[in-house]
Amino acid sequence: MKLPLTVIGGYLGAGKTTLINRLLAEDHGLRLMIMVNDFGALNVDASLIAAASEDLIALTNGCVCCTMGADLFLAIGDVLDRSDWPDHLVVEASGIADPAAIAQVALAEPDLAYGGIVTVVDAVAFDRLADDPQIGVQLRAQVDVADVVVVSKTAAGAWPARLTGTALDLATVALVAPLICGIAVGQVPDRRASHADYVRWQAAADTVFEKEELLAHLAARPDGLFRVKGYVAAPRGQVWEVHCVGRQMTVSVGKGPVGLVGIGLQGCVTLPEVDAWWNSGDL
Amino acid sequence: MSDITVFAARKIITMDDNCPQATHVAVRDGRVLAVGDAGCANQWGPVRHDDRLQDAVLMPGLVEGHAHMMAGGVWRYAYAGFHDRIDPDGVLWPGSTDLNAVIGGLKDYAEGLNPDAPLIGWGFDPIFLSDARLNRSHLDQISTDRPIAILFSNFHLMCVNSKALDMVGYGSGTNAEGVIKGPDGTPTGELQEMAAMFPIMRRLGIDFRGLSQTPEAINAYAKVAQRVGVTTITDLFSSITDADVDVMLDIMGDDFPLRIVPALGVMGDPVAMADKAQALAARSTDKLRLGAVKLMTDGAIQGWTARMRWPGYVGGQPNGLWNTAPEMIHAICAEMQARGIQMHIHVNGDEAAEVSLDAIEAALRAHPGPGHRHVLQHCQMMDRDLFQRAAELGCCTNIFSNHIYYFGDQHVALTIGKDRAHRMDAARTATDVGVHYALHSDAPVTPLGPLLTAWCAVNRRTMSGAVLGARQCLTVDEALYAITMGAAYTLKLDGEIGSISVGKRADFSVLGRDPTAVNPMALRDVPVLGTVSGGQVHLL
Repeated sequence: MKLPLTVIGGYLGAGKTTLINRLLAEDHGLRLMIMVNDFGALNVDASLIAAASEDLIALTNGCVCCTMGADLFLAIGDVLDRSDWPDHLVVEASGIADPAAIAQVALAEPDLAYGGIVTVVDAVAFDRLADDPQIGVQLRAQVDVADVVVVSKTAAGAWPARLTGTALDLATVALVAPLICGIAVGQVPDRRASHADYVRWQAAADTVFEKEELLAHLAARPDGLFRVKGYVAAPRGQVWEVHCVGRQMTVSVGKGPVGLVGIGLQGCVTLPEVDAWWNSGDL
Repeated sequence: MSDITVFAARKIITMDDNCPQATHVAVRDGRVLAVGDAGCANQWGPVRHDDRLQDAVLMPGLVEGHAHMMAGGVWRYAYAGFHDRIDPDGVLWPGSTDLNAVIGGLKDYAEGLNPDAPLIGWGFDPIFLSDARLNRSHLDQISTDRPIAILFSNFHLMCVNSKALDMVGYGSGTNAEGVIKGPDGTPTGELQEMAAMFPIMRRLGIDFRGLSQTPEAINAYAKVAQRVGVTTITDLFSSITDADVDVMLDIMGDDFPLRIVPALGVMGDPVAMADKAQALAARSTDKLRLGAVKLMTDGAIQGWTARMRWPGYVGGQPNGLWNTAPEMIHAICAEMQARGIQMHIHVNGDEAAEVSLDAIEAALRAHPGPGHRHVLQHCQMMDRDLFQRAAELGCCTNIFSNHIYYFGDQHVALTIGKDRAHRMDAARTATDVGVHYALHSDAPVTPLGPLLTAWCAVNRRTMSGAVLGARQCLTVDEALYAITMGAAYTLKLDGEIGSISVGKRADFSVLGRDPTAVNPMALRDVPVLGTVSGGQVHLL
C-alpha cells in the first residue's frame, strides 16, 4: 500500500483555497488529509466539523485539514508514521513555492505514490504575473511542472493568453475530487464516475507485461487521459502497481486485484481512443 | 557573607565610553553594580573579592545576532567538513582536505559506533575539494552493512552509501529528480533537496527539528556558545510550539549560561503568525526572549538562489528564487509593523534587500512607529544606497562577515565577480552611513565565534589569503563594538547587555589575551577561557 500525495500549486490569490473548499464539500467518499498553509480562508460548514484545534480541523466525513507548520516534510513523516493512513494526502504549496519540490517526495518515498501536481491559474491576473520581472519565472515554472492546470476566475470570459498547454476551466468542472485525487478501483459509485465532466475508463489488465513493456505502453497513453491507476498482471504470478498522473508514471511490484481505471476530461479524450490505445498492447 | 562580588581582572574592556577600561567590576543580583578599581563598590557596603579572573581580560559577553540552535545539536553526528572545528566538549575535529581524509575520518568514527547504528556525518562541502565528487562507492569503503548518510554543509544535499540506497529502494528505476544518477543510470549516492533526502532521513532518524528542540541540543548550544565567549545568542527561524517553550524554560534557569533569543519563522497567514509571536512574547524570561519573527525572502548567493539586481550572476545563471513572494513580504511587513513586532529579514541578494526595504517603507507609512528596529539579516550585497535607506528607515543591518573568509574566493570567481565581491558585506559603508549593525556567523553554516567574525570584518582575508576589498575593513575597536553593543542593539537588548555598565546584566566573556593589543591578524586566536553569565562564572 502506498499513500497517494497530490500537491496543489499556484500563486497567492489564484484560487487554491477555493479549490480545497470545493474538495472538502464534495461527496467523494474519500478520507482526505489536506495540509494547508493556514486556515484563514478555509470555508468549512460548522455543522460538518467533528473536532478542531489550533492546527487541525477534523470533519464528520473523515477528512482532516491541518496546518503544516515550518517543516512540511516533518508533517508528511508524521502522517506516514500514523497507523491510520488517510486515503489521500493533499498538500497546498505556498504561493511562490515550486510544487514539484514537494511532489518529488512522492516519487522518492516508497510509502508514497505520486498523485500529481494541480496548478491553479488566475485567468485575470496570470498574463501580468507571468511577465513580472520579479516573480514571472517562478510562476511560469509552477505551470510547467503541473500535471493538470486549472484556470479560475473565468466568469467574465477571461482566459490567460500566456497559457500555452492544455488547461481546464474550473468553472466547467462540476466535481474536483477526480481531478485532484483520481478514483480508485471500485471506490467511486458509477453515477458519480460517469458524471458528464469525465470520461471514465476501465480495463481488466490481465495480460501479462514485462516491466519495460508496460512502461513503454503506458508512455504512449492518450494525452487527455490524465490519471491511470490499478494493478496489471506481471510474470511469475506477480502484479504491477501502476500510478500514472500527467506525464509521470510509476510501476512497482504490488499486491492487489488486477484491473486498471483511468479518467480523462470530456472533450479532451474519448473512451474508444483509450480502449484502442490499451488494446494495442495486447500481445 | 556579602551579596556584592568584586571581580578582579588584568583588564576590563567595557564598551562603555564613560569608563572604557577598568580592572574591577562589582556584581550584585546578577547585575553590574560598579566598575573601576578594587574599591569601586565600597560605597555600596561590604564586598567579597573574587580573584579567579585576575589574569584574564574581560569584555562584555559576546552577542551572536544570527545563528541557529542546530549548531549545538548537530555534533551528535560525525563532522566531515574541510575546516578544523571544535565540538561542544572542546574536542578539536581536524578538517578533511581531501576525500581520502573524509573517508579515513569517518572510518575511525564508525569504529566507535554501535554495530546497528547508522553513520551520519555533517559539514561536508565539495566546494573546497578538488577531488572527484563524493559518491556511494567512497562511502561503501567505510561499510557496506551499515547505512551511511553524509549531510553537506548547507543541509540541502547528502551522499549515502549503497546500503542506505537499498533501504529506500533507490535504483535505476527511481524517477525522483533529486536522486542523482551516473552515466550507467544507477544512483551515485548523491541526493539533492529534501524530497530526495526525506526517505533516508526518515529511516535513519535524521530529524532537523530534533537537532534543536531537545534538552541535549539546547545544552550543546550553550556549550558551543560558552567556548567562544557568547552569553546571548539568537535562534533565527524556529517553529516554536508551546511544548518547545516548556522544554526550554525547564532547563534554562538562573544557572544556564546563555540567553537565547529565538525568532518565530513566518509561514502562512501574517495575522495568525503575529498572534502567535505575541503569545510567545508573554512567556519570555531573562534567559529566553521570545516575540520576534524571522522572514525568509531569497536563497543563498553560493547556491545561485539569492535574488540579484542587475547585472546578476557572473556565470549568467538565472536570477535566484524567492522563498516568500514580494507581495507576501509586503503583507507580512505591514502586519508585523502594525502590531509592533520586530522582524529579522533574511536578505542575501541586493534585490531581496531592496524589496524588503520597499516593504518596510510602505509599512511605516501605513503604520508609523519609531523604535521598530527591524533587522536586515546577511546584507551581503547591500551597497551604499541600500545601507542609506536602512538607516533612514530606522532598520538595523546584520552583516555576514564570515562569508568573506569562507566563500570570498568563490564569490570573486563564480558567483558575483570581482567588483561586487570586493564591496560585499560592506561593514565600512554601514559605519559611514550610520546604520546600526552587527556581524554574524550564521552557525552552523560557518563556525560560531564572534572574535573570528570580527577578524573577518577587520582583515577581510579569504581562504586563499587575498584581501577582499580593503576599503571595507573595520578597525578592531569597531568590530568589537559590533559583536557586543552593535548586536545587542539589533536585539533590542542594548539596555541590558552589550557593555559592562552599571545596571546591565553581569555577562562577560573571559579572554586569555587583550584583543585590542594583539596584531589584528591574531584576533581570531585570542583564547576564550569561558564566560560569566548573570554574575555566575562558567570557565571552560
